[in-house]
Amino acid sequence: MKGWYNRTEAFVYLEKRGNIHVFRFIIALCAGKILSFAIHVLGPILHKNGTHLPGNIALKIDPLFLRHIGKPETIVAVTGTNGKTTTNNLIIDALEKNGYKVLSNRYGSNVDSGIASALLQGVSLFNRPKFKLGILEVDERSSLRVYKYVHPKYVVVTNLMRDSLMRNAHPQYIFDIIEQALPDDATLILNADDLLSNRLKPQNPRIYYGIGHQPGDTAESRNLINDVQICPNCHSKLQYHILRYNSIGRAVCPHCGLTSPEADVCTLKIDREDRVLTMRLGAAPFDFPMISDSIFNIYNETAAVALLDQLGLSHEKIAEAFSTMQVVKSRYREDKVRGIRILSTMTKGWIAPACSAVFDYVSQLPGEKQLVLYLEDPTDPIFYSELLAYTFETDFEFLNKDNIQRIIVIGKRARDFYLRMLLAGIPEERLAWTETIEGIKRYLKPKFGVDIHILYDLHQAVHYDQIRANVIAAIEEAKL
Amino acid sequence: MMRIEVLYAETANLYGDNFGINYLKQSLPEVEIIHTGLTEVPRFVTEEIDLVYMGPMPESSQELAIEALRPHMEAVRRRIDEGKVFLMTGNAFEIFGAYIENEDGTRIPGLELFGGYAKRRMMNRFNGMFLGSMQDMDGQELKILGFKSQFTHFYGDTGVDFAFKRLRGKGLNPDAEGEGVRIKNFIGTYLIGPLLVVNPLFAVYIMKLCGAEDPHPAFEKTAMEAYEVRLKEFTDPEHQY
Repeated sequence: MKGWYNRTEAFVYLEKRGNIHVFRFIIALCAGKILSFAIHVLGPILHKNGTHLPGNIALKIDPLFLRHIGKPETIVAVTGTNGKTTTNNLIIDALEKNGYKVLSNRYGSNVDSGIASALLQGVSLFNRPKFKLGILEVDERSSLRVYKYVHPKYVVVTNLMRDSLMRNAHPQYIFDIIEQALPDDATLILNADDLLSNRLKPQNPRIYYGIGHQPGDTAESRNLINDVQICPNCHSKLQYHILRYNSIGRAVCPHCGLTSPEADVCTLKIDREDRVLTMRLGAAPFDFPMISDSIFNIYNETAAVALLDQLGLSHEKIAEAFSTMQVVKSRYREDKVRGIRILSTMTKGWIAPACSAVFDYVSQLPGEKQLVLYLEDPTDPIFYSELLAYTFETDFEFLNKDNIQRIIVIGKRARDFYLRMLLAGIPEERLAWTETIEGIKRYLKPKFGVDIHILYDLHQAVHYDQIRANVIAAIEEAKL
Repeated sequence: MMRIEVLYAETANLYGDNFGINYLKQSLPEVEIIHTGLTEVPRFVTEEIDLVYMGPMPESSQELAIEALRPHMEAVRRRIDEGKVFLMTGNAFEIFGAYIENEDGTRIPGLELFGGYAKRRMMNRFNGMFLGSMQDMDGQELKILGFKSQFTHFYGDTGVDFAFKRLRGKGLNPDAEGEGVRIKNFIGTYLIGPLLVVNPLFAVYIMKLCGAEDPHPAFEKTAMEAYEVRLKEFTDPEHQY
C-alpha cells in the first residue's frame, strides 16, 4: 500500500499489532464526517453537490472502508441499466410515507464512493448504525467493489441493456460482473421479461416481476438493437411472442424449449384512463395507482411493489403511498411562451436504449411538433473527437414522422447527427443543423399549435437555459 | 447484382458498426443483403458473395463464431484466394488468429487464417482514437479514421500485412506500427465508428473492391463534410490521443 502513512513509525507499530486497520478507519471516518458536515453547510452556498467526496476521501484513507463502516441490518440494492433511479426513489418514498427511516444514496452517487458517503451519514461518530434499513442504488460496473463488503439482503435488477460502450462495453459483460459480485444468499428481484438479467445467479432465491400480455403487444422488433436474440442455453435463435422494446419481452427457444420465467408479481392490466395497475402478487389481484403510464415506468413500479411486498409492507399501504407519488420530473419540463408549448426532456447521450425511449415517447405524442436536439457530449475525456457509434444503435427512425415538422440539431458534431437522421430516412427538408446554440433562431419556425420539444443530453444541462432562451427568442422574433 | 453476406448479426452486432452495411445498401440500393445465423451454413461456401461482413461481438460469442466457422475455413481460404472481399470490424477479426488468451492464461483456439493472438484484459478497457492510411486502388493515399473500444490487443507475428499504416493512436497493440490485418481482400480491423460511415472514402473503396462501378457514398456531401471535420480533429497536433 503506497501512501505517506506507510513510512511512519506509528504505522509500522500499529500494523505489527494488527491495529492499523482500526487506525486507518478511524481517520477515514473522522475525515469523512468532517467533509460531510462541510458540504452540508457550504454546499448550498457554493451551489456544489459533491456527495461522493466524503466517501471518496474515506476510501482513499481506508481502502477497506466499506467493510469497516457500520451498516443497516437490512440492505436493499437497486441496480440495472435503465430505471434504477426511478425504482429506487419509488421504494424509498413508499417506505418513508409509511414511517420507515431509510438510509439511502438517492441524492448522491451510486458508485462505491457515493455508497461510502451514504453509509457515512448512517453511522454515529462511534460507527454505530443509525438506520435499520438501507436502500442503495448501485452502479452495475461498481458491483465488485460494493457487494464484496456491503451485503444486500435483496437486490432489485431492473434490466441489463446497452450502456456507454466505452465504460460498460456490452450487457453480457455487465452481467458477468454482477454475477461474479452478488452474494449467494441475496434474494433477487428480477425482471421476468428480460432474458438477460433474469438469468443472474440461478441458485439464489428469487422473485420475478413482469407485465402480462397487454392489448397492442406485438412480437415484432421496433428497435435496431436486441441483445438477447439467441438462446442462452443452445444458441438457437429465440422466438419472441411479445417484444416491447429492445430485448424486453417474452420469448421461447424453439430448439431447447427455454422460456421466459413466469412472473410472481405481475401487472395484469394497465388502465391508463383510470390510472390503475392491476397486479397479481398473492391470492387475489390488487389495484395500485399508476404512477406513470410509460411502459418503462410500469416495469419500475412493478419492481418496486415486488420489493416492498418482500419487506412486509401490506398491499394497501403500498397503494396508499403510491397514490400521492409521481415520477421525478427533473428530466422533464413543460411551459408555454406566447401560446406555444415548450417541452424539454433530458436524455442520456451515449446510451442508445435511453435515447430511443425518449424518441419513441416524443414521436408518439399527438400534435404537430418541432424538435431541437442537443445530444453531443463535449466533455468526453477519452475521445477528443467524440465517438458517436451509439447513434447507430439509437432509433432515430422513430423521428421520421409526418407530424414532426422540423428537427434542428445543434453542436460541434451536428453534421454527424444530421447524417444519421438522413440515413434514418428523414426527409432533408425537415432537417437543419447548426454548430451554435444561437443558430436555433435561424432555423426554428414557431407556429401556433406546433409544440417545440427540446431534447438535450445530460451533459448539456448546463446549456439548457441558453437553449431555451434561444427558443424563446425565436418565438418572439416570429411575432405570432 | 452485388451480394453482401452479414455473418451472425444476431450476436455480432455491437457498437453500431453493422450500420456500415446499411450505409452500403443506401449507397447502392440494388445490393442484396443476406443475414446468416450461427446455426446456418454461410452462403459464401456455395454461392457467389461479393462481401462477407462480421461486426463486433461479446467475448462469449467469439467462441460461438469460431465453432460456427471452423467447418468452413477451407471455403474462407478459397474465397480469399479468389479475391472476394471480407470485412471484419471490432473484435470479429480476432477469431481468425491463432488463439485468444484469457486473463487466466487459458486459450481459445482460433481459426488460424493468420498468426498472432488476442490477449484479453477484461477489467482494463482500452478506448482510443486512431488515424492511419492505406493506398486505394489508384495508389492514392487514403486517410482512415477510427475509434477503438476494446478489452484486447493483438500480439505476435501475424505473418500478414497490416490493414492500415499507423499515423496516430495505437495499432494492433500499443507497440505495433500498423492496425488490422490484410490478406488480399480480407480486411480485419479493431476500428469502429461505424468504420464505413465515418470513412466514406473507405466505403467507396470497399464498394469498388466488390465490383461496383463509380460508386458514391450515400449523402455524399454531408458524409464528406463530416469526414473532413473529423480528419481535421484527428490530425490536430494540439490534441494528443
